[in-house]
Amino acid sequence: MSADLNVTAAVATTVMSVAEIEASQLGMKAIGAALAVGSTGIAAAIAETAIGTAAVGAVAENRDVFGLVLLLTVIPETIVIFGLVIGLLILF
Amino acid sequence: MAMKLWGPGPYIYVCTRMRVRKSKLLPREEYVRLLQMSLPEIARFIGETEYKREIDELSASFGGIDLIETALSWNLAKEYQAILTITPGTLRDFTEAYLRRWDIQNVLTVLRGKSQGMGPGKIKELLIPAGELDRATLDRLLNEDGPERVVEALKGRALYPIVAAEFSDAQQTGSYSRMANELYKQFYADLLIMARSGLKGGSLFLAFIVLDIDITNIRNLFRFRADEFAEDTRSMMIQGGTFGVEELQHLNTLVDRTEFIRALTAKITNKTLIRVLDSLREAASIREVEIDLIRVQLGEMEKMSKLHPISIHPILVYLEKKKYEIFNIRAIARGKESHLAPDRIRRYLVM
Repeated sequence: MSADLNVTAAVATTVMSVAEIEASQLGMKAIGAALAVGSTGIAAAIAETAIGTAAVGAVAENRDVFGLVLLLTVIPETIVIFGLVIGLLILF
Repeated sequence: MAMKLWGPGPYIYVCTRMRVRKSKLLPREEYVRLLQMSLPEIARFIGETEYKREIDELSASFGGIDLIETALSWNLAKEYQAILTITPGTLRDFTEAYLRRWDIQNVLTVLRGKSQGMGPGKIKELLIPAGELDRATLDRLLNEDGPERVVEALKGRALYPIVAAEFSDAQQTGSYSRMANELYKQFYADLLIMARSGLKGGSLFLAFIVLDIDITNIRNLFRFRADEFAEDTRSMMIQGGTFGVEELQHLNTLVDRTEFIRALTAKITNKTLIRVLDSLREAASIREVEIDLIRVQLGEMEKMSKLHPISIHPILVYLEKKKYEIFNIRAIARGKESHLAPDRIRRYLVM
C-alpha cells in the first residue's frame, strides 16, 4: 500500500502544468533565437577579422581603396542579419 | 622580446600589404616608355614614382647616373628594412634569413673595393644595406684601413668563419670568387636547415629555396657551357636542390646541347621549367638563358603565392620582383649612359 502511494507521488511531481509547458516552450524559443543571433555574430566576427586586417593592410598602402574595403569588411554582417531574421521568426 | 600573436590577422595584414606593393611595381609599358627616355628624363620619371623621397634627398649630392643608381639602392634597402618591421612571427625569421644574401654581397663588395684601393665613398655607392649588416655597420667596415681589418671587424658575425678561412686564398689569387661560392653555399645550407627545423610555414619556405637552388644551379651549368668550363664543378654547385652535386657534375660533362637539355629535363617535374629548357635547345646567348630562367622562377613564385596567399610566398615574390625592378631601371640607366640602342638594352630587362 505504501509502495503504491510513493509511485503516485512520483508521477504527480513529473506532470507539468500547461503554464509550465508554455513557459518552457518560450524558453526554448529564446534559446533558439539567441543561438541564431549569437552564432552568426561569432561567424561574422571571424570572417571580419580576416577581411578587416586585409583591408587595413590595403589602406595602409593605398588610401584610395578605403571606401571599397570598408564595404568588403561589412559584407559578413549580412550573416548576422540572416540570424536576426531567423531569431525574430522563432520568437514571433 | 618575441611578440605573442593572436590569430592569423598579422599574417593576413602583411601579405595584403605585399600584394598591394607588388601591384605598384612598374608595369611592362612603363619600361617601354623608359627605354625611349634620356637619363635626366629617367631621373625625373622615377622621381615621380615610389623613388621620389630618395631622388629628392640625393639630388643635391648626386647627378646623372650616380643619382639614379644611389636612389635605387637606397630605396631597395629602405623597402626591405621596412618590410622586416611589419612582418610578424616566423615570416620575419624567414625574411631575415633570406635577406642575408645582401650581407654576402655587401661584404664581398667592401673586400673587393678595399683590395683594389677604392675609396670608401665610391664603395658606398655600390652597397645595398638590405640585410643584417645595417648602414652604420657597413660604414664602420668602409672606414677600416684595409681588407684584413674588414675581415677582423666581421668577428662575431655569421659570415666571419668562412670569410676568415678563405681570405688568405683570395689575397693570394686576387679573386674572391671562391669565397663568394663558399658564402653562398653556406647561405643556402642555413636556409635549408631553417626551413626543415619544424617552424610553422617552413615547408612552403623550403619549396621556394629548392626552386631557387635549382634555378641557380641550372644557370651556373649554362654559364659553364658558355665559358666551355670543363673542370670539376662540384665545389661550385649548391646542394639541396633537385639535382645532387654528382649529377650536376655529370650534366656539365655532356657536350651535346640536346643531350644536356634532355638529361636536365628528365629529372625536373616543373612543367614550365621543362618547356623553357626545351626552348633552349636552340643556341641562345647566356643572358637570354638567364632572363628566361629568372622569368620561370618569378612565374613559379607568383603561382606559389597564389596557392598559399597567407604564407612567406607573397613576401618573397614581392622582394624578388622589387629587386628586378631596380635591376631593370639600373640596366636602362646604364644602357642610356653608354648610348646603347633601346632594343639592345631591352634584352637585359626582366619584364
